[in-house]
Amino acid sequence: MSWEKVCDPSALPVGKGIAAWVAGRAVAIFNLGQQGVYALDNRDPASGVSLLARGQICELAGELYVCSPLYKQHYRLTTGECLEEPQLKATKVDIRIDETGVWLAGA
Amino acid sequence: MSNTKPKLVIVGNGMVGHSFVEQLCEQRLQQQLEVLVIGAEKRVAYDRVQLSSYFNGAALDDLAMTTAEQYAEWGVSLKLGVAVVGIDSDAKQLLLADGSRENYDKLVLATGSYGFVPPINGRERDGCMVYRTTDDLLAIEAAAKNAKTGVVIGGGLLGLEAANALKLLGLKTHVVEFAPQLMPVQLDAKAGALLQDKIAALGVEIHTSKVTQEIVDGETGRLRLKFADGELLDTDMLVFSAGIRPYDNLAETCALEKGARGGYAVDNFCQTTVADVYAIGECASWQDRIFGLVAPGYQMAKIALGHIAHSLDIAEQHSGDFLGADMSTKLKLMGVDVAAIGNSRGSDDTRFVELMDEPAGIYKKLWLNDAGNVITGALLVGDTSDYGTLLNLYLSGHKIEGSAAALLLSGDAPALPKSNNDLICSCHQVSRGSILNAVADGAASLGDIKRCTKAASGCGGCSASVQKVINEGLAAQGVEVSKALCSHFEYSRQELFHLCQVEGIKDFATLLAKYGKSHVHGVGCNTCQPAAASIFASLYNGHVLSESRDQLQDTNDAFLGNLQKDGTYSVVPRIAGGEITPDKLIAIGEVAKRYDLYTKITGGQRIDLFGAQLSDLPEIWESLIDAGFETGHAYGKSLRTVKSCVGNTWCRYGVQNSVGMAIELENRYKGLRSPHKLKMAVSGCTRECAEAQGKDIGVIATDKGWNLYICGNGGMKPRHADLFASDLNDAELVDLIDKVLMFYVRTADKLQRTSVWLESLDGGLDYLKQVILEDSLGIGDELLSQMQTVVDNYQCEWKTSVETPELRARFSEFINPQAAPECAVLQYQRVRGQRIPVINVAPATEEETL
Repeated sequence: MSWEKVCDPSALPVGKGIAAWVAGRAVAIFNLGQQGVYALDNRDPASGVSLLARGQICELAGELYVCSPLYKQHYRLTTGECLEEPQLKATKVDIRIDETGVWLAGA
Repeated sequence: MSNTKPKLVIVGNGMVGHSFVEQLCEQRLQQQLEVLVIGAEKRVAYDRVQLSSYFNGAALDDLAMTTAEQYAEWGVSLKLGVAVVGIDSDAKQLLLADGSRENYDKLVLATGSYGFVPPINGRERDGCMVYRTTDDLLAIEAAAKNAKTGVVIGGGLLGLEAANALKLLGLKTHVVEFAPQLMPVQLDAKAGALLQDKIAALGVEIHTSKVTQEIVDGETGRLRLKFADGELLDTDMLVFSAGIRPYDNLAETCALEKGARGGYAVDNFCQTTVADVYAIGECASWQDRIFGLVAPGYQMAKIALGHIAHSLDIAEQHSGDFLGADMSTKLKLMGVDVAAIGNSRGSDDTRFVELMDEPAGIYKKLWLNDAGNVITGALLVGDTSDYGTLLNLYLSGHKIEGSAAALLLSGDAPALPKSNNDLICSCHQVSRGSILNAVADGAASLGDIKRCTKAASGCGGCSASVQKVINEGLAAQGVEVSKALCSHFEYSRQELFHLCQVEGIKDFATLLAKYGKSHVHGVGCNTCQPAAASIFASLYNGHVLSESRDQLQDTNDAFLGNLQKDGTYSVVPRIAGGEITPDKLIAIGEVAKRYDLYTKITGGQRIDLFGAQLSDLPEIWESLIDAGFETGHAYGKSLRTVKSCVGNTWCRYGVQNSVGMAIELENRYKGLRSPHKLKMAVSGCTRECAEAQGKDIGVIATDKGWNLYICGNGGMKPRHADLFASDLNDAELVDLIDKVLMFYVRTADKLQRTSVWLESLDGGLDYLKQVILEDSLGIGDELLSQMQTVVDNYQCEWKTSVETPELRARFSEFINPQAAPECAVLQYQRVRGQRIPVINVAPATEEETL
């Protein structure tokens, strides 16, 4: 697995999503500070449009989800599973943060 | 593929054939079968019902119901562009037009039907065509390029659809019908005549009682129709739409029996007379009847699939019997609403009540049983808003309580006794009973019901009704339906509003900590976040994206634009009252040209610029602000626009300055955040050209001053506004609007329009009049000062966003823009000189579908 640095840890906004371009695709990063940092492929599986990073972060039954801006399906941040339509799944991307930077798994 | 799996072949990839495959894959049955679909047309299944939308600017791909990729993902083989020409039922083989053969274990025929061309001499001439497939569409489009006039032979449903297509192509259009009226199968003479008037008013010429004898060379057009009565009609092109005939030619090649009017004869399980061969949709004849609507075809698909799965032991039970289908239908023909229920033509000795409202262009008729208290059929032309109510009455066979005539006078329909057969979702034919059963089986939310019954997953128009039935079902189980906002707050929006107001709460974290329920992460959800953001905005009117409030905003508010289907945004600058200077008009055009934005005039007298990339928004706003514009809040649950007529400024009849008042009101209330969007209008006289009675706040001028109307609504459930106060001067008018709006903002439920709010108020309009006009609660001054706070704190959200670096940063799509490509790879096409998305929803990848 190759890791790519996308930015410095201080540059990453907290509490909302932001997209990063890594290995020829957009990845949505959700930095929730104390609650952890997550990454999913930015592509909304229901529509094919690249915008999951723009979704609202929600807690439902104790689990964290991002709510797709287009048709409001909820994708679980830890796995990418879709709450409303089990046949859909956002692709999970590995992410780690250390003092040197924010790192995403490459292709 | 292993050869041990039974092989299921579906012949035909139309709407019904596709529905069969879709239902099969939804049940994951394709894992236990080898499935092959063979279609004679080159395209994957498309929506034949919407063909004419192509001439309204839809692309052929917009009509597609699926993609070849989707079939590949399902693991269903697809052979398109090759017809099946024979069945060897002994060898269980199909013969294809390309000479190849395919084995089958089970065979489903979904070959549909073709357009019938009556045997008229000259029918094979150039310029004569049918209207049934996308190939026909393209042929008609090509022929229309060199034509000025077009004739449709056939004045039924499909004929009028075809006439609409010709009209959209800009041809002078004629409809020729053999019967004395239009739609002779569904409508009686009066309804047919009214429909004819309405369509003739659109410039389409209708010729009834005409028998076409011959088609010869024309003089003023390429072709000439000679009618039996000696009259002639010249035209450049001709479309036959004189009914459909089932594609049942495979019956010639094996022992398939046909029905009396053609079609493969089937039993209650859609089995033909040949073992292991089924027929569904318009090629199937059940009890000598052919069902030419798509819903019965979907039903047959479900039944045939259940029977096949059961017979192969891959399903525990089959899906019941096919027992005929209701052919009731509601549609819009050239913009005219028409509906037919049950036996809609009645007969000479059937009792009926009818309503003919000539000025309004509405005709309604109920056919009744001998006792005159049960509906056996109905006809509606010009107004089909009662269709659902009447269809339920017809299907349930309920006796009409009271007068049948009262049913036809809109708005006074007697409350129906609720029955489990009542159709709640007409897209997917889901009854009240099915929803209640699902609730009894543990479904508790709208999402659950969508998943297990499909109700509300079609057009979504029945969501509120479905929710009501869910609540009934839950109440029956003793589950209390709570007014709680969501799983994070036990309180209603109104209670939270008051808590925030009294305690001065200005941020979500505090609200959740103080009044929220126990939670793990403390982020709330997409129900409570926007509701809280709306409350903070109504109370304090700070910038909606500052102080972490950006995380709370719904899709559009989050980026101060309207998100469109391709992920781009549309931008609507404010044009108060619809009045704009030529310079500003030119400035908008220049911005739109610079960013290649698709430009459209909205219904609210403004201009909408589509196709803006997220990262271009700040620059676009800067250009607009430089030209003197500000945000139009088209993205917000807030005041949108105040529509106006031109009033006494120019108009011969105007009695007040409606434009001036509209601009004053729009500038006062712009930026007011409310539970739902607000629309207003000001008309300068009683002719009501601004349509103020369809708005949340409507103002109509009289020679004595202004009349105020409130809580009207356009949209899905139109509601006329109620007269609230008359003969007001300017100051009195603004005073009342301040109070009404602020009382609404304080007391309405989340996402509740003013019309629904008024109906939910205990005591309704009279109570509201007491509160506002008589100050019965003693809160008048408080409401006024609250509104003044909102007005005083107005800011242009675009201007603040572009001028504040940390806000502007939100509009960068990528944290590492230097690594990202210059612009997102989006597909566009040019239509009528403007850029629009190539709408091709990419299917989920293998990784994304489980």
